[in-house]
Amino acid sequence: MVIDLDRCTGCEACVVACHAENNISTVGEDQAGRGRAKHWIRVERYYEGEFPDVKVKFMPVLCQQCGDAPCEPVCPTFASYHTEEGLNGQVYNRCIGTRYCANACPYNVRFFNFYNPQWDKPLQLQLNPDVSVRSVGIMEKCTFCVQRIKAGEIQAEAEKREVRDGEIQPACVQSCPTRAMVFGDLNDPNSEVSRMARSNRATKLLGELGTQPKVTYLQRDSANVREDA
Amino acid sequence: MPQITSVYGLFPGPHSAERGMNALRDAGVPGDKIVVLAPEPFEEYEFAQGDRKTAMGWIAVGGGIIGAIGGFVLAWYTQTAYPLVTGGMPIVASWPTGIVTYELTMMGAIIATLITLLVGSRLPNWKPKLYDPEVSHGKVLIGVVEPSDDSRANLEDRLRRAGAEKVKATGRFATS
Amino acid sequence: MSAKTPEQINEDLLRPLSGVSPRYFIVLGCFVAVIIAAMFAFGWQINNGIGVAGIRRPVFWGFYITNFVFWIGLSHAGTLISAILRIANATWRRPVTRCAEVITVFALSIGATFPIIHLGRPWIFFWLVPYPSERGIWPNIRSPLLWDFFAINTYLLGSVTFLLLPMIPDFALIRDRTTGLKHKIYNVLSLGWTGSPRQWHRLEKAMQIMAIAIIPVAVSVHSIVSWDFAMAPVPMWHSTIFAPYFVAGAIFSGIAALIIAMALLRKFLHLEEYLLPIHFQNLGKLLLVMSLLWVYFVFSERLTGWYGNESSEMSVFWLTQTGRFSGLFWTMVVCNFIIPFPLLAIKKFRTITGCVIASIGVVIGMWLERFLIIVPSLSHKYLPYAYAASPYRPTWVEITITAGTFAGMVTLYMLFSKVVPIISVWELKWGQHPEEARDPLLARADEEEATA
Repeated sequence: MVIDLDRCTGCEACVVACHAENNISTVGEDQAGRGRAKHWIRVERYYEGEFPDVKVKFMPVLCQQCGDAPCEPVCPTFASYHTEEGLNGQVYNRCIGTRYCANACPYNVRFFNFYNPQWDKPLQLQLNPDVSVRSVGIMEKCTFCVQRIKAGEIQAEAEKREVRDGEIQPACVQSCPTRAMVFGDLNDPNSEVSRMARSNRATKLLGELGTQPKVTYLQRDSANVREDA
Repeated sequence: MPQITSVYGLFPGPHSAERGMNALRDAGVPGDKIVVLAPEPFEEYEFAQGDRKTAMGWIAVGGGIIGAIGGFVLAWYTQTAYPLVTGGMPIVASWPTGIVTYELTMMGAIIATLITLLVGSRLPNWKPKLYDPEVSHGKVLIGVVEPSDDSRANLEDRLRRAGAEKVKATGRFATS
Repeated sequence: MSAKTPEQINEDLLRPLSGVSPRYFIVLGCFVAVIIAAMFAFGWQINNGIGVAGIRRPVFWGFYITNFVFWIGLSHAGTLISAILRIANATWRRPVTRCAEVITVFALSIGATFPIIHLGRPWIFFWLVPYPSERGIWPNIRSPLLWDFFAINTYLLGSVTFLLLPMIPDFALIRDRTTGLKHKIYNVLSLGWTGSPRQWHRLEKAMQIMAIAIIPVAVSVHSIVSWDFAMAPVPMWHSTIFAPYFVAGAIFSGIAALIIAMALLRKFLHLEEYLLPIHFQNLGKLLLVMSLLWVYFVFSERLTGWYGNESSEMSVFWLTQTGRFSGLFWTMVVCNFIIPFPLLAIKKFRTITGCVIASIGVVIGMWLERFLIIVPSLSHKYLPYAYAASPYRPTWVEITITAGTFAGMVTLYMLFSKVVPIISVWELKWGQHPEEARDPLLARADEEEATA
């Protein structure tokens, strides 16, 4: 995945779409205040300077699907493991809730179900049947909408063709109004994702830790940043 | 009370027990018919040296080796039975395999020691046997099992002269 | 110390086993009430979800893991005393070994419950056990939690063996002094021990082997517990010093717990003539050495962090030195070093009371140290936006369960001291040989030598 920070407006449509697509419950104001909210993708904001010279830097942070993920070897039940496609898979059934993986993740993108999730009626009708609902004591995180990936692959196989570039879009990518997020196959050098990842603005978040994240961030082009007069 | 026939003396301390042992040996009692029971190990004394040889140390090492093999097999098998890649590590990760092997080595050594102890000292043994509660009160019991009838008086006399506080007889020699 | 006859020793050390006073029941009842409250709190947690505890994102480990590391650390008391002093042939250890080994076994058992208590789904904790399951999958032995499983079980087996083996001759002693049901029970427990040289040799040999075997196991246990932290790329966790640091800290807290336990036993079981000031002084000197070693490790860790000036590490560093956790940090330093050092270093202060005060400080300080290793680092990981906006606060569930474990330790100890003599009777007698004085022929031989 590539996220172009120059295009990101911080609108958080991706956050809402992710909640809707992946059956993530809200936890209420009180619990959110205690750090129990489960935003698989979040927009981080950093403010510099004092009013009226405030500059804001923001970026969407989601599971980086690290190639060398620190969350994977520490799970005692193999609930967190590396799939053959290169994703960091989270198997809800195997999770016993030691929360070691969440401690090991440097990006803090893993979330825990402290209580059984609840949806006020009639919102439970909106649940996505393709995604399981996690019960109390289970870790969860962004899966790159693996249900959509699988659906796209199955469709392509049924039609006896390859998956087209841009055909599979996770909910966040699909809902981004400025097309700041791009998703595709990094193994294909001609895909849009691969081309954008080769940009000279490309950086990795916390790359120095050696996690080999699969999400590339394109830094804001300084020519486009408005300087105060 | 035990059905074993015996004659024994209860000695107040290790020095007198040593004399009792020597008295019995001088009487010509063979070593395997002499019984020694003590409330403490008394490692430094001659009378407590019977049945000393044991291969317990080597058996513990052997148990450790078995544990090491078991640990290695467990680690290797569980990692290859359902091979899942985690964090870029190889399927059979060497360091964790080493740690599990080490722990099971120590477990094997400990279990081997425990089993050897129980088997070697023939415990648990709740069958009736020669014993006198005075032993746990601090006395050393030195005696003879199955002595011949005519040697009884001689043995009792020798034990008394060696310093036994009490001399008792059991089995067919029991007086009351 | 005036030599006591074996009968006197038996009398003194076996007296606690006969009968209980009303005061005992009242005290025991209070502690059992706390344990019941803790069990209720745990049930509440299972019923309502682990959200009733204070843990939150990103501080996913809090009181429970603090307690886990603390109790496993405390369990190193027995290993040091029984095994290391035995190998070093330090005879003053004899009255102290069983107290220490009992602490080890009980602390280890209590500590081993916390990996279950802290789980999000504790009812499937057995998935950590490597057994051939119908799911076809085995646990992940690349995970340090699995290393914990093997290490703690091995150490538990070793400690229980180390505790139970020398109890056999004492069970025989009690068997010979009781009648009726008690006699039957102790008869079974003593395995028919008679005291033949065969049995004594093997027992001694087994103890020697166990002493040599249990030291590397104990070192490995707490190293592996430390690697629960050191294997994760969290600032101020991912440090190679963690293994020796934790082992030293464990022995440190273990000795302190032992001193406190000995002082309480001495007072309540009237063992003033067996647990002597010299024992406390010797242990106090060891505690002093461990305190200095602890300071050395903390200093090394902090110096390298501060000197390296890596931004994530420094964020955690300042959090403990001057930030939100500084109160706890400096309390810890006071409890672990400032208070114990003068009390233990100056001979005039190294009395039983002085050692006990220092030990209480150390126990509190080491608990705080475990807490301060876990929570500040998790609060401030790499991305500042993800720092803990609301600081970690324990809830009544965590506090009750923590209190319950302390109560559990005391309860187990109280029950144990009523069933088994807390000082190993035969080992104590073996160190004294007081019966020489009563040997009439020896006395006569001595007279003859004197007049010759």
